[in-house]
Amino acid sequence: MGRGGKGSAEGMENRNRWLAWVFLAPAMILVAVLMYYPMIGTAIESLYSTSFINPNPQFVGLKLYRQIFASGDFGQIVRNSVVWTVFVVLLQNVFGFAIALLLNQRLPTSGLMRSLVLLPWILPGVVAAILWRFMYDPQLGLINSFLIRIGLADQGVAWLAESSTAMGAAVIAAVWKGFPFSAVVYLAALQNVDREQIEAAIIDGAGAVRRLFSVVIPSMREVIVINVVLTTILTFNYFDMIWVLTRGGPQNATHIFPTKIYELGFGQFRFGEAAAYGVFSILILAVLIALYFILQRRGQKAARA
Amino acid sequence: MSGQSPYARLWLAIAQVALALVILIPFFWMVSVSLKPGDEPFAIPANLWPDNPTLENYVTAFRPEFRVYFLNSIIVSLSTVTIVVSLALLAAYTFTRNQTRVILVLMALVVAAQMFPASAIIIPIYKMMKSADLLNTYASLILAYITVTLPVAIWMLRAFMARLPVELDEAAAVDGCGPFRTFFSVILPLCRPGIVATAVFVLIVTWQEFLFALSFTSTKDMRTLPVGMNDFIGQYGIRYGELMASSVLISIPVVAVFFLLQRQFVAGLTAGAVKG
Repeated sequence: MGRGGKGSAEGMENRNRWLAWVFLAPAMILVAVLMYYPMIGTAIESLYSTSFINPNPQFVGLKLYRQIFASGDFGQIVRNSVVWTVFVVLLQNVFGFAIALLLNQRLPTSGLMRSLVLLPWILPGVVAAILWRFMYDPQLGLINSFLIRIGLADQGVAWLAESSTAMGAAVIAAVWKGFPFSAVVYLAALQNVDREQIEAAIIDGAGAVRRLFSVVIPSMREVIVINVVLTTILTFNYFDMIWVLTRGGPQNATHIFPTKIYELGFGQFRFGEAAAYGVFSILILAVLIALYFILQRRGQKAARA
Repeated sequence: MSGQSPYARLWLAIAQVALALVILIPFFWMVSVSLKPGDEPFAIPANLWPDNPTLENYVTAFRPEFRVYFLNSIIVSLSTVTIVVSLALLAAYTFTRNQTRVILVLMALVVAAQMFPASAIIIPIYKMMKSADLLNTYASLILAYITVTLPVAIWMLRAFMARLPVELDEAAAVDGCGPFRTFFSVILPLCRPGIVATAVFVLIVTWQEFLFALSFTSTKDMRTLPVGMNDFIGQYGIRYGELMASSVLISIPVVAVFFLLQRQFVAGLTAGAVKG
């Protein structure tokens, strides 16, 4: 902001400040009322017990938390959430980065592929999930038909109905849906890598692999870290894919926080327990979000230095 | 990279073909099944492509309730996009032009808000909607969607507006423009690519939103497409031919918008993500 120091300029500064609040107010009020206030609401809700038979909330203190800890479900949902998040994020970012490198090459088809690559990400989540559910179908699915035809299997595997394969199948579907986003972000970042540094490395005789690890990746570190944290948050919160594929089954094998919360709350009207799970997921995310801000600030400082 | 050997180029080309297959096979399958007549989707082993492709699944899929879902989705998505982009423009402008300490803290709170899980706050929001008598209305969905997309929209537009130099505003002020004139006739026209990118993003998110729509709508006449699709699974047994035809129909609007506007969309999407 220019500071003229004259009376009229100061008057305008004041007016701008007043206007700033007018411009901000609608957005701030909505975010406060519909996002931050409900977070407190969730914490309060978790102290009251309701059920389908007993819909009037009864204050029970921390009893629901004790109940949740005592049941085997909680441990399993934490484990599932960790497995789900770690594998989806890892595969999505590694695959996305590799695809970005591939599309950054000067080939006649690169332009076309850059348009195609976002397709899975644009496809509505429920549609993607239904499509994969069908692909995994033991009798009718493309995957089993293919395995039988090439002789790798005698009969179809019920990928989504076996506890041992359901989570892996869900992870693959989610990676297919999510990697385009990472690929596009990394591609944009690759195009920002300093050409001079790369050319200097070529003159020094560094091969492609060497250039990748000692020039390209270090200069993209900030983008990579921020994207890993961001995809971690999005994956942890991802409801549609698992809900449509398995509803959390078989026997809780694919239940993660969002699906469990929905099932408890809207399936069984046990709002209190659902809210207690909600409080846990808010706490876990608060840690991740704090991490995001710390890493981003450090990155900005490094960029200024 | 320069100096690719023909051998390396061959491998890269093969890798790109493999990538195209990974992306396109599920789409191919979706379209193929949607064109299969009668019982053919249930043939074992499955045919890759129908012998006699037909559009009959599309005709059955486009039943009256599907048209209602489609209309609901359009109403809810377009209202959300319009309101979110307007509110986000005002907020993003303020965030890039008045960087006082309080405003920076507010901005951090907004950025953080987009990361919290909808599932964790949905119960209190549900109860608020219930006591306001808004459950099973467009208003409840539009309000929820505005809230979940507004922080991302502000974030994207802020990255875009930060690149417009403050000197522009100052020049406009020297020319006698008040703050409103400056915003509407100087800043807004320059933001058009950012507005397009943000609008497309919000459209893609709201068009597919599932959790709120599933929880807040209780009657068929208020369902949106994703929830309607989810209902189809149980309702008619799994009629895959029809299900895939409806999937294609649902995807067409967003895919079309994306291909029309992709250049601006990708630039706007990555501006925020790359520059932070």
